[in-house]
Amino acid sequence: MLLLLLTIPLVCTVLSLLPMNNRMRIMLLLLVSLGHAAMTASFWRALPGAEFNGIIVLDNIGLILLSVISLLFTSVSLYMIGYFDHEKRNNRVFVLCLSLLMSVMSLVAVSYHIGLMWVAIATTTLFSAPLISFHRNKNSLEATWKYLLVCSVGIAMALMGTFFLAISAHGLDTLLLPGLLNGAGQLSGNWLKLSVIFLLVGYGCKMGLAPMHSWKPEAYGHSIGIATVIMAGGTTQCAFLALVRVSQICSKAGLSGFYSSILILTGIISLVVPAVFILGERNIKRIFSYSSVEHMGILILGLAFGGPGIFGSFFHMVNNALAKVAMFLTAGSIAQKYGSSRADDIKGVIHAYPVTGVFLLAGLFAGTGMFPFATFFSELMILYAAILSGHYVAAIFFVVCLAAIFVGIARVVFEMVYGEPTVPVLAKKENKFMNISIIAALVILAGIGMWLPAHLENIINGAVQVASLK
Amino acid sequence: MEITWVDIICVLAVFLSLAIISTRRIVGMIQIFSLQSLLIGLLPLLINSGMPSAREILVAAGTILVKAALVPAVLFWAIRHVSMRSEIKPLIGFGTSVIIGAILIAGAFRMSLSLKIPWVAQYDLLVPCSLATMILGFMLLVTRTRAITQVVGYLVMENGIFLFALLLFDVMPLLVEMGILLDIFVAVFIMAIIVNHINEEFEHAPATFNREKMGESI
Repeated sequence: MLLLLLTIPLVCTVLSLLPMNNRMRIMLLLLVSLGHAAMTASFWRALPGAEFNGIIVLDNIGLILLSVISLLFTSVSLYMIGYFDHEKRNNRVFVLCLSLLMSVMSLVAVSYHIGLMWVAIATTTLFSAPLISFHRNKNSLEATWKYLLVCSVGIAMALMGTFFLAISAHGLDTLLLPGLLNGAGQLSGNWLKLSVIFLLVGYGCKMGLAPMHSWKPEAYGHSIGIATVIMAGGTTQCAFLALVRVSQICSKAGLSGFYSSILILTGIISLVVPAVFILGERNIKRIFSYSSVEHMGILILGLAFGGPGIFGSFFHMVNNALAKVAMFLTAGSIAQKYGSSRADDIKGVIHAYPVTGVFLLAGLFAGTGMFPFATFFSELMILYAAILSGHYVAAIFFVVCLAAIFVGIARVVFEMVYGEPTVPVLAKKENKFMNISIIAALVILAGIGMWLPAHLENIINGAVQVASLK
Repeated sequence: MEITWVDIICVLAVFLSLAIISTRRIVGMIQIFSLQSLLIGLLPLLINSGMPSAREILVAAGTILVKAALVPAVLFWAIRHVSMRSEIKPLIGFGTSVIIGAILIAGAFRMSLSLKIPWVAQYDLLVPCSLATMILGFMLLVTRTRAITQVVGYLVMENGIFLFALLLFDVMPLLVEMGILLDIFVAVFIMAIIVNHINEEFEHAPATFNREKMGESI
């Protein structure tokens, strides 16, 4: 079953090489995404068996990531139907990379071998690069180069971390997760510590955690919204999954105190940096990219605080993906309508495009964690976990930075939505396909905020059990 | 201490990295990189005594094919335009780079003394030479302004990581080994395409990046 899941997107990859028009390719992608979603839904009923001698296994943590991936690709391919009505550039390479990413990201979710997981995450980095440079202008090429270099170095460090882990597990002779967890007592402590640092810096680079985030504003600011959604909601959360695996190993090996202290430090920096830089930004995509840095910080903080924070983190993975769909797809449709994403060029969206204006406001509230969106609840859980575990200083930083980021985003969004209207550069009508995918994401996000379905809650609880098994 | 072929190749790999740093022409850099990859590609055959196993031959052949042949070919394709043939304005001059490189090599050897491998390492020079190659590659990556030179720097760094991976030759499954190799090839392939786009886009402007814009990149 799992192998089928990994190979279905590759069918789309091969078929998209055939000569056909943009619309046909997007329909193909939509079909494959729906197939992926249907298979993931079947895994919600019962987890499939292991394949390849336990190298490929799906557990509840992987299932959450897999559901996020299905959701992202379905909404994005629906959105692309509308987006490519006004986009004349050929999308062959774009669809090809998207379908490859779908397969490789699913591989991250199901790989139980630390080395294979590295291979999969490195591949996600590579195939997201052509998405950023879709428009092939100076800015997007520069952004792509920066992304490739920073993330390649990060990924190389993660590989070294994986090797250090292998040295530390020399007595066990395995890099399979269950083997590492069972023999965690035999891991050599100093090598494990070195490995954890390298893995955190490496995968943190990929996630865009604060000191390593420099590629994020460029890459998100100069690529089209579709690519950004896949990266901000998908590939970065794949790297988060790797950090969750590291946390599993650390808690078994008695290093959880060490690991959570460096996670908290990185997490707090990832909240402070966007809170400072967001105040000087005028470009809506760059502002949202800083918000993405913040959400990555929130994810690892939840993991570090433990207790209800772990539930909060896994819940936040789903919420973050949904919020990113709403935020970046709205930013993308505004950028397409106005030919710019700078607040100086865009004023009075609510008058020119009422629906998009409302989306922008809703995206603001969803992204900054306001009631009734589910982001509010997951952030609240993580804050509660901070207080419960006695991290009062971290809790204060958490609240202050979130407030500052809200002010930073709201300042520009209100100006864009309610400002004095200017004549749109490229006057185009609202597109129903684009709007449907944004509405769907917002409705689901508000829905699970007000009423969390028991089934989703069970799956997250199962994931918490997998993650915190002592 | 007995000097083995493995140790000799490791030392040569470090010398060749230093040679790449001091080379001005990009064609020369790629040729030296190709030689370095050929040498370290032979290591899986030498690392265990006796006849090499099928797995060792496979890894060695794969490494030599990808790193010594395919990757340089792709890089030569990317720089087929005359305007890209030599390094201009490195952040640190060529002479200074070599001196700094030598200091970094000394540092790598010092650092490797404090890394205690849990089992007895058969080859004394493997770890320090791998660290030195990695650091030199990283230095190349951060001190040069040309996109293509940065790719060579990244590849030298990968060669250093490959040396380190030889310590773990028996732990990693073949699947992962091949995955890493494929990843490097795809990375270079995509980087070469982007370099090509950059070249086309910046054809009228100077082909190097504007440092002010790239300032915080690394």
